Amino acid sequence: MKLPRHITPGQAARRALLADLAIALAIALVAITVAAGIGVVGFLALLVLLAVVVWIAAEATVKALLRRRTRRRRGTERARTGSGDGAYPGG
Amino acid sequence: MRPARSERRYPVIPFWKRARRIFLLAAIACLIAAATSYVPAMKAKHNVGIGVTSVEWLRQNGGNSIVSEIENWYYSLEAPEKGGSALTSLPKVGVTAEGEGSQARVYRPPNVAPLIHPALPGEGVWKKAAAKAGPRPPALLTTFRSDPEYPHFVAGVAWIDASRTHLAYVPGLAEPPEPLDHRGSGEVPPAQRRRLVATFNGGFPLETSNAGLIYRGKVVETMVNGIATIVEYRDGRVDVIRWHQGPGAPANVWFAKQNLPPIIDEGKLNPDLSDGPEWGETVNNAIRVWRSGLGVDARGNLIYAAANYQTVESLAKILQHAGAVRALELDINEDWTSFISYRHPGALEPSNLLPEMFRPAERYLTPDERDFFAVYLRPGQAW
Repeated sequence: MKLPRHITPGQAARRALLADLAIALAIALVAITVAAGIGVVGFLALLVLLAVVVWIAAEATVKALLRRRTRRRRGTERARTGSGDGAYPGG
Repeated sequence: MRPARSERRYPVIPFWKRARRIFLLAAIACLIAAATSYVPAMKAKHNVGIGVTSVEWLRQNGGNSIVSEIENWYYSLEAPEKGGSALTSLPKVGVTAEGEGSQARVYRPPNVAPLIHPALPGEGVWKKAAAKAGPRPPALLTTFRSDPEYPHFVAGVAWIDASRTHLAYVPGLAEPPEPLDHRGSGEVPPAQRRRLVATFNGGFPLETSNAGLIYRGKVVETMVNGIATIVEYRDGRVDVIRWHQGPGAPANVWFAKQNLPPIIDEGKLNPDLSDGPEWGETVNNAIRVWRSGLGVDARGNLIYAAANYQTVESLAKILQHAGAVRALELDINEDWTSFISYRHPGALEPSNLLPEMFRPAERYLTPDERDFFAVYLRPGQAW
């Protein structure tokens, strides 16, 4: 069966998510099978979860800071160029 | 044909972001699987905090080496400095009752010679554990400073008269694990409390000791030759021996609990008290933590010792100094080390051997998850 080539961005995102979920389940299954016990699996999974959550949070924070900085810079530029109404300051 | 990148009509998620998502999902799947074991374990009856129970769950589910590594690291950071301020007094143990010091022709062990001079008042002097114990007290207690290099370390020692008492092995709610016949309620049975002299911790869980157990004459876990064993014979005699009777239960044995190699054998310290796989899956022998041990003196009486900041070697030296000729290590860590004596018949006024012992003195009068030993006055023996 061939997957449709021309799909909407939403469909593409869902397709990617499904593939990722399948891979994740396979990884989990392997980990549970080869580990010395479910306790080890849980402990390491907790560490991975914490690391990824911290990573995502840090990324979101950096993005938010950059956005704020950009907005502030634009605001300063607008103020310098006359409140963004196109009028020349002092004119 | 795969469309060229420029022809794609949807944004492509970067590879690293997808990898991160995969790991996140895998971690969640693993946690859900672990929760199916963890949640029921936490719901079971416990008398320790969720932190300790979680660590125990991790130990029982393949995480022994992880826990031991973390403990090694933690206790190494917390290691005490040599020297330090000297103590001016010792914790009060036992009772000084009427008639003490006038026990003619009754055997009492010699006092434990102080290792640091001048000795503190009462250091190494045996005191009765029970207030109304007559001239032949079934249990005696003392404390002494166990290491001249660490003058603030105090060891608690108990001596138990084997001729007047009998030792019982009491399974806990979770240790030894199922299946086990005649588990009981994990506490000193109320009907037996009238004769209760003392209780103390029962040694490593079978999972970590890699050793055997015989309970009520039946093998619960295969016995291992060469391992130190607390054994009670069917005639009531108790001993600490190096096991050489094979994997099964000899006909004359009522219970036998094994725990690691002997730390004292034939009056001498085990020359191999350093680390090795034979010492169980736990913190290194040289790490200073709460440790406890049980031995027998040359007359067959029991000697229990416990102290904080001990290595296996220093614990063995405490027991040897107190008169033990054969001994094994019991539990370690503050959560598991307990020796409780009862000042009055009926398990009244329970008292920890050392005030720093973490668990309450009522520990074994309520259900406990770990197995332990109870010392009873023999039938027909008066207090």
